[in-house]
Amino acid sequence: MNCRQLETLVGAYADGELDALRNYSIRKHLLSCAGCTTTHHSILALHTRIRAEVPKSVAPPALHARVRAMADAVRASAPARARPRDDRWRWLTGGVLAGCTASVFAWMLGTTVLAWRAHDDFAVAAVTTHVRATLGDHLIEVTSSDRHTVKPWLSARLDYSPPVQDFANEGFALLGGRLDYLERHAVATLVYRYRQHTIDVFVRPEVSHAPMSALRTVRGFNVVRASGPTMDWLAVSDAEPAVLSAFVQRLAREDVSQ
Amino acid sequence: MADHTRFEQLVLPHLDAAYNLARWLTRNVNDAEDVVQDACLRALKYVGSLNDGSPRTWFLTIVRHAFYDWCKRNRPMEIVRDDGTAIEMAVDPAAVDPEQAFLRTAESKALADAIAALPLAYREVLILRELEELSYKEIARIADIPIGTVMSRLARARGLLQRSPLSRATN
Repeated sequence: MNCRQLETLVGAYADGELDALRNYSIRKHLLSCAGCTTTHHSILALHTRIRAEVPKSVAPPALHARVRAMADAVRASAPARARPRDDRWRWLTGGVLAGCTASVFAWMLGTTVLAWRAHDDFAVAAVTTHVRATLGDHLIEVTSSDRHTVKPWLSARLDYSPPVQDFANEGFALLGGRLDYLERHAVATLVYRYRQHTIDVFVRPEVSHAPMSALRTVRGFNVVRASGPTMDWLAVSDAEPAVLSAFVQRLAREDVSQ
Repeated sequence: MADHTRFEQLVLPHLDAAYNLARWLTRNVNDAEDVVQDACLRALKYVGSLNDGSPRTWFLTIVRHAFYDWCKRNRPMEIVRDDGTAIEMAVDPAAVDPEQAFLRTAESKALADAIAALPLAYREVLILRELEELSYKEIARIADIPIGTVMSRLARARGLLQRSPLSRATN
């Protein structure tokens, strides 16, 4: 294959859209081809520029209002169903149910807000750590997609051994790891790439925090935490919240699999 | 679930994405509103047929169809002349040096102009990928083309952008 034909595949590689086999062959080719490496870098750079400089347009409020009015018009024209005779009882039970639901909801909201506040500093600290690492040069201290390289490197520097797995075939490629500090403790940090997003995953032996299952967004970064049987997992990234949540829960679930 | 409820719950959350796509396809704010409104009418009518798939992909497919129909009526030769309405560029308030901030927005405007100048077939896949962050599979469904074509059109779009004098960074 010549490099001209490869240009399309290098693009798909940068987008994380290749199957494992072609992904591997492109990665290998990039190691030895300066031309395609330049193409790869310029695709990533272009993506970063577009994300940073080209804003997404937002529907004007007037359009929102018009579309809502359209939906309401459809609702109004929908044939009204005849009310059943025991309508009154349905309204009454409905009211009681709604009351109960509202109380439970208020209680849950209260506790959640309290839990959030307790974890606020925690999420901010995680984002700060992540940003500091991405700005400087120390994002990755041990570069390897091989968990048998990353795991011993981390264990040798900590008093625990974090589980390490590569999910490249699912789009989450392990780039490596580093040692970082979170809440005054050294913490094992795994670095993954998902499409163009870098994901920092802090892995610690289970800590005594109340569970922070809720997603937090700090300065545009999403912070998600999940607890596994042996470890506590905290991920920070600018990747989509849903994607990040699913990934962290996956990591926590497979905590003891190795 | 009644159709209007389904529409409100499944489709309305994607109104911004719909408008963004229409905005980049028509390159005109007023036309974009017309296209989105037409798309919403269709979505309201057919929302009953929306099954397990992603509502966003479904809705964006409708937006794209609405755009092409609108195009046939209004710009049959795709003689789409830019109305000069620049995409609103937010000036970064955190920028300390006002001159720097100006420079940055000027470059950004150039990049946005270069994207707007792309031929339609390349522009739509680029927007769906880079701004809406859809997968190749979703783009293939929306644009009704094979995944291989998504790949080659994206490569072409990026190549054109990189060679465009408009998009070149001035640093």
